[in-house]
Amino acid sequence: MTLRRSISFLAGLAMALGAGWVAFPRVIYRSRPQPVNFSHKIHAEKAGAKCEDCHSFRDDGTFAGIPTLDKCAGCHAAPMGTTAAEKSFIDEYVTPNREPQWSAYAGQPENVSFSHAAHVKRAQMTCESCHGNTGSSDTLRPYQVDRISGYSHDIWKTPNMPHGMKMADCVACHRQKGLEHSCLDCHK
Amino acid sequence: MNTTRREVLMFAGGSAVGVLFTPAPWRLITDSALWSENWPGIPAPGHGEIRTRYTNCSLCTAGCAVRARCVGDQPVQLSGVSGHPLTHGALCPFGLAGHHLPYLPSRVKQGPAKEAADAVANGIAKCGAGECVATLDLQPARTASWTYRRAMAALKNGRYVAPSGDSSVAVDLSQARTVLSFGVPVLDGWGTPGNVNTARGGFRLIQIEAVESRTATMADQWLRIRPGSEDALAQALAGTAPIATAADATGLATSEIVALIAQLEHDGPTLVLGSSRLASSGRTVIARREAPVPAEWQKAAPVTALASLPDRSVRVLLIDESAQGEYLPWHTIEKKLVSDNPVIVAFAWSREGYARHANFVLPVGVYPEVAGDIPSAIDSVAATFRIAAPLVSPPADMVKPEQFVAAAAGLATGDTLRERADAIHKAARGSLFTYADAKSQALKDVTADAFWKALNAGACWIDAPDDKAPVAQLAAAGTESRPAEQADLPLAVVVSRELTPGSPILSKLYQESNLRLAPNRVALNPACGLEDGAQAVFETLLGKCHVGVTLDAGVPAGVVQVSGSPAVLDLCAAGVRAKVVRV
Repeated sequence: MTLRRSISFLAGLAMALGAGWVAFPRVIYRSRPQPVNFSHKIHAEKAGAKCEDCHSFRDDGTFAGIPTLDKCAGCHAAPMGTTAAEKSFIDEYVTPNREPQWSAYAGQPENVSFSHAAHVKRAQMTCESCHGNTGSSDTLRPYQVDRISGYSHDIWKTPNMPHGMKMADCVACHRQKGLEHSCLDCHK
Repeated sequence: MNTTRREVLMFAGGSAVGVLFTPAPWRLITDSALWSENWPGIPAPGHGEIRTRYTNCSLCTAGCAVRARCVGDQPVQLSGVSGHPLTHGALCPFGLAGHHLPYLPSRVKQGPAKEAADAVANGIAKCGAGECVATLDLQPARTASWTYRRAMAALKNGRYVAPSGDSSVAVDLSQARTVLSFGVPVLDGWGTPGNVNTARGGFRLIQIEAVESRTATMADQWLRIRPGSEDALAQALAGTAPIATAADATGLATSEIVALIAQLEHDGPTLVLGSSRLASSGRTVIARREAPVPAEWQKAAPVTALASLPDRSVRVLLIDESAQGEYLPWHTIEKKLVSDNPVIVAFAWSREGYARHANFVLPVGVYPEVAGDIPSAIDSVAATFRIAAPLVSPPADMVKPEQFVAAAAGLATGDTLRERADAIHKAARGSLFTYADAKSQALKDVTADAFWKALNAGACWIDAPDDKAPVAQLAAAGTESRPAEQADLPLAVVVSRELTPGSPILSKLYQESNLRLAPNRVALNPACGLEDGAQAVFETLLGKCHVGVTLDAGVPAGVVQVSGSPAVLDLCAAGVRAKVVRV
């Protein structure tokens, strides 16, 4: 009898561990594909583009974020190559002048104001220090969003986001560099 | 083989233990916390184009120039406008968080406007001989104030009442070598922050005050006197009373007063600031022309002091507390009201002020929701005209006080701000400073339409220099009367006037941190026998209310420092004494 009870206990333990470590991470996130299969690698290698060529700063110093269709259409008004992704992009977005609905992997929630200017220009941080190898990726991963919090998967520490971007991560990095700030610096 | 109940329980137990060693429960807790941070109803900036807009802060008469960073139509960050000739790019902490004000938790959002209008009409009709209809305007010299004055002139028994203060007088800090302040918060909200900071290096500040205020700590010299002895000291400085008498009243040594007189004589020009009176030696207090108004507006009711109204004479009282101004304690107003059913309408954003005593409370927009001009600041040597251009839309059902009062008096009004701007433009004097390009140009070179457009985009008209005439030579400028000793009320009251309303977030921070005296708190000397944070009753001859106690070594024994909240101010008067009893 004792053996059977032990087996029941271990079975429950194993099932919970499996559900918690394998099934839960798949259930907690909802995936949605990006509108276009964009290749950072091709743009960097073949077109020689740098991050700031597309993800630029405005004249007033603020960060423009994901480029708008105007920026893309500047080069891709007509196909430059032969890939199906480019043809699809032109047919579905450039020609009808429809803005693609990109999902920002590193997008912060509504209650946070993150300044790229302060981090990139003033602190001289590289793009890779937060965005990992996104700039050399050949394809865009599906965007994964937490079903409960609504936060992007990349806010947590992942291979694509080596430091994580939760408040604790921001605070830890600032403390490591001897920087102390107030609540309203980020929570405008 | 049957599964027993005990085996099922063991399985459940194993699952419970196992799940603790997975990320699932901890992640669910974190996610729930993050989810709660973004609940619906929590203000969040919308998405949209990032734009820069300009306006002027109307939280006080400093009227600092504001640069607003907006996402879509939502301002997300306010800052000063560098290069501004008056505000010099500065903005106080209240102004920096001004865009939080529409989210004030205590805000009044609905009110019986129709019922109030009917009651006011009935009250006006019932007004008998010797009775009057009065409008109390806490922030006079605005364009809205002119509408009130015109409306009251349109009524045969209308009175326009405003707190003391003369907008035709200004101080020129740049001319002062010494500033002698009788309890005026010179470095903490009195004038225009940028202008005071810019002029600060040029004058020596001597603060005369009973408590160690923020201005006292930052002054070049702080002379601690007994509460209410300002007038005695001022008279000694002016040579109209013996020094020994002042020394006896203030607690200062005779030698200190003699040294102070010598300083004032040698380090002039001197500017003397009392809480409501100004004096000067040299050209530090000057006459200032008011911004022009249309000729037809001159047929307006004169400004009447509340004290000059006969007791029991006000049948209808309309109170505009939508703009910050000097709070008149309710007991001074109440005795002016008729004894049988006076009609009292308060135009207010919260129920904490006169709304507590009004029959009708009508909601008003807050900065930065409503367009309105800001009176010239006390430390602006020339008249100014600037509009607090709205950055966000007000909620529905907000009442515009000046329109309500004009309608009640049967006064037809148009776009009064535009009419005032046209009158200023017609006078063709002064200059227009535009914020986006930080440039000044002569007003005569600007068309009327361009002037109006610029004002609505956050520009500032500054009057041309006038012949600066000194108003007064050094004279008595103290204002407080000395509290009479009363055995049952052992504490002298010192009022610390705080700017309200404040951002909900900043208010929470400073109230919880005690950086500023919260509205429901009093400060006492640590030797008073009460504990920090204790709940107590604050009592004067005018009444009592519940307060929290803050112990502060900057408050001398025998003194209680109170905040400027309406509930507490209603219990205070000149020379009032109090006691604080633990509950």
